[in-house]
Amino acid sequence: MITNTKCECGHQNPVGTVLCEACGKPQHEEPGGNSSELLEMRYDGVARRSQRANPNFIDKIWNFFSSVKVAVYLISITLVGAMLGTVFTQETMFINIDPSVYYKQKYGTIGEIYYLLGLSDTYNSWWFILLLVMIGASLVICSLDRVLPLYRALSKQKIRKHMQFLTRQRVVYQGPISGHGEEWVQQAIAPLKKKGYRVHTDGAALLAEKQRFSRWGPYVIHIGLIVFLLAVLFRGLPGLHMDEHYWFTEGEITPIPDTNYYLKNEKFTVEYYTEDEMSEEFRQRGKAVPKLFETKAVLYKCVDNCNNPLEEPELVEVDRHNIRVNDPLNYKGFQAYQFDFEETAEIRSVSPTLVDQETGEHYGKFTLRMNDPETEYDVGPYHLKLKDKYLDFDLDENKKPITKSGEPNAPAFLFTITGPGLPEDGGQFIYFPYLEQQKFFGQDKLNEALGGVNNKLRFDLLAMEDVDFIRSKSYLNIRIDRAMPFVWTGLGIVMLGLIMGFYWQHRRIWLRVDGDVLTLGGHTTKNWFGMRREVSSFLKSMGIEVDEKSLDNGGNRS
Amino acid sequence: MNLLDISKQAFVIAFLLYCVAFCFYVVTITGKKWKNHEPQQHERKWGRVSFVTSTLGLITHLVYVITRWAWSGHIPVSNMYEFMSFLSLMIMLAFTILYLIYRKALLGLFATPLAIIIMAYAAVFPSDVQPLIPSLNSIWLYIHVTLAAAGDAFFAVSFAAGLMYLLRTVDFKGTDKSARRQKRWLEITFYSIIIVVGFIVSVFAFRASGYEAVFTPKAAPNETAKVSSAREVYNLPPIVAPHNSQLESADSFLGFSKPLFEVPGWFKGVNAGRKSNTIVWALITGTILYGLLRLILRKPLSEALSPALKGIDADDLDEISYRAIAIGFPVFTLGALVFAMIWAQQAWGRFWGWDPKEVWALITWLFYSVYLHLRLSRGFHGRKASWLAVLGFLVVMFTLVGVNLIIAGLHSYAGTD
Repeated sequence: MITNTKCECGHQNPVGTVLCEACGKPQHEEPGGNSSELLEMRYDGVARRSQRANPNFIDKIWNFFSSVKVAVYLISITLVGAMLGTVFTQETMFINIDPSVYYKQKYGTIGEIYYLLGLSDTYNSWWFILLLVMIGASLVICSLDRVLPLYRALSKQKIRKHMQFLTRQRVVYQGPISGHGEEWVQQAIAPLKKKGYRVHTDGAALLAEKQRFSRWGPYVIHIGLIVFLLAVLFRGLPGLHMDEHYWFTEGEITPIPDTNYYLKNEKFTVEYYTEDEMSEEFRQRGKAVPKLFETKAVLYKCVDNCNNPLEEPELVEVDRHNIRVNDPLNYKGFQAYQFDFEETAEIRSVSPTLVDQETGEHYGKFTLRMNDPETEYDVGPYHLKLKDKYLDFDLDENKKPITKSGEPNAPAFLFTITGPGLPEDGGQFIYFPYLEQQKFFGQDKLNEALGGVNNKLRFDLLAMEDVDFIRSKSYLNIRIDRAMPFVWTGLGIVMLGLIMGFYWQHRRIWLRVDGDVLTLGGHTTKNWFGMRREVSSFLKSMGIEVDEKSLDNGGNRS
Repeated sequence: MNLLDISKQAFVIAFLLYCVAFCFYVVTITGKKWKNHEPQQHERKWGRVSFVTSTLGLITHLVYVITRWAWSGHIPVSNMYEFMSFLSLMIMLAFTILYLIYRKALLGLFATPLAIIIMAYAAVFPSDVQPLIPSLNSIWLYIHVTLAAAGDAFFAVSFAAGLMYLLRTVDFKGTDKSARRQKRWLEITFYSIIIVVGFIVSVFAFRASGYEAVFTPKAAPNETAKVSSAREVYNLPPIVAPHNSQLESADSFLGFSKPLFEVPGWFKGVNAGRKSNTIVWALITGTILYGLLRLILRKPLSEALSPALKGIDADDLDEISYRAIAIGFPVFTLGALVFAMIWAQQAWGRFWGWDPKEVWALITWLFYSVYLHLRLSRGFHGRKASWLAVLGFLVVMFTLVGVNLIIAGLHSYAGTD
């Protein structure tokens, strides 16, 4: 069936047009019918792209996503899904649990059902991500479907509109005027311009319009949301994203795996509020409240010998920042966040003195670093060769020394010492830097068993300065997130659109004078109260007193 | 008298001024029918008196914020007491803005009690100034929390206007299905509000009397060291005891000194026993209050209130409700989502982590975007829109209060006590 879509004014409208694109006369109404219902002014009554006569397969998909109703369903389902995800703590919040056991154990049968339904990881589930993707599709298609026809309609508006178009607006005034129609319309230009309207006239008809840009607000919001959603989606791609936590020992330069960066924790500070800084009532609670966590950090970039374990890497300082909670280090997208800390009493290095047990003579001092000790030392006439190193010393069943773990809980160093008064091939000597561990493991007994040195020598720590302690370690969260600029851009666009769309309104006033009768119709996208006030004030300046409320034609509000 | 004392005084004065303003708004609306009165002149005169009073309250409330801020060195929005109090300030501010646009004194009749209830609710929480922990020490605390509260405040005013629309338009004499259903839900809405009032009343009544009961978990004797830390102190007489606990000491109340029930074992969480006990007390006190009101009024609360709205243009109420959301939505988006993401990125290194509070802020946002989309369609204004505005405020309050009380998360430092 071919529908006749030609309006009586002679304009050929596309299928689906509600109001004639030219004169605004309502289409598809019973001929001769005298409806006084308010007009549907959405998208100015133009046909949307989706309103095709014979939709094919692609059109049908397009039509599905172009529906606001579908969009509302999608948002509502997402909303309910998001709610369900907050019922129990999501598995991603735990560092180390087995979700298949945890939920049943903690919450019983409900917890088990929750887990089996996949709700324990709602926000990474396929259906939740699918919903977000569908919302994304809906955003694009809904917008395109409307914005293009609307843009066309608004950029070529006819000034003289059909009578029904005016009398069926929500703001309507009809009344007699004195004088000539065209002159009256000319006089109306100045007061309308004063209110910020752009005025166009056509004989005894007038169109005044302002803040049309606010019409694009919703579409700008949707563009911003798309940018945001795409950024979030692509964030997960490899190489764009890194999120690791590492310990940084105070006073040391630590390489950061998978990067060219090295970070030095120069000093870590934790401060607590003093009693003077607390209110009377709070002091009585006797709680210590931390005030500051700070890591003085220096970031180095490796420029040479980076992956060569035999050579010292060549480092260049690139950034220096006091990392605090809420104030991360940020160097070209490489970020380090204060996450946690630990106070320790670990030894970094000791400088024992080699002492002759018999004469009491001091042969000299050498510095032994726990992490990377040198392999040979010369102390006085003696030569010390590091034979073995145990980080976490213990003896196995056969009384053989072993290292229990990689943690430096009980470091021990086995030396071969050569020099005067010792056998030709040297004597074995084991040394524990921690005094209490010397007793605990029985250093002297072990050395007797090893033989060779025969109690001739000992290592003595003579002064406080001979022990260098690590006082604290800082736990930093190292992040690289290349998608962030796009996330922020998207959100910025959303905000721009929101402000455009919600804090301004597109207002239009149409006038026509037929003989000595003035007919006025007004339309706004929001805030009808303000619109009526403006029309009433305009009419007043033209010498017509009207009550604001009487301009209201009732009916559909949007 | 230091700044903190001034601040505490200002809080009380603001509260009282709001109460007085509320009474004036009642006079403004109900007084129109008094004899020997020109209704319009009466409304103009008393409307102005009421508005001046509520504005004075707002100014005093601002004094509270400023003096407390000056004393503590940080904006007072860092715990539940401060935040709720700030929210009620924002509601009054949003009301003032909408009043200046629409000049409807009636809006005050519903916005002031809302602010009063929320302010009283704030006072339930410990009011001492707490030192700011490092994770809160950021400029974004100021921006994020204040803007989020401002957005929520506009939603609250929209709720008030929506509720008024419903009171104005529901046919209380109607007997068809839709009218009965609406009457029922409207009454449930009022009942829920009274429950909140009941909660506040019971907390203050027993606080004034200094009531205390202490529970300790039942445990093997060798675990005593742990026990002392897991004590639960009740400030309301125990009806519900914590799971697997024993009463250590309790003041007597009306001859009762023993709890009647025990919280079921599956109800987990920090202080689950005390929280459920408080809820039971809120329900009891609220129901008694509601019953008394019904006895006095001899009809449902909503029906008793509806005559106050006679002669008000329902379309205006609908428009105010919509406008409040339209003003609040961008503010909320900026404050509760965009700035929240910026702060989260700075403090935790990720802009979004599906923390319950974040999720609920998103849910609130999705809810109001549904509202805004539905508003585009024909027939979705007035009644349906008002119900959504009422429901929306429930979502807002759950995000602000419910999440902290029921679901713990990263935002749990907001001082739930």
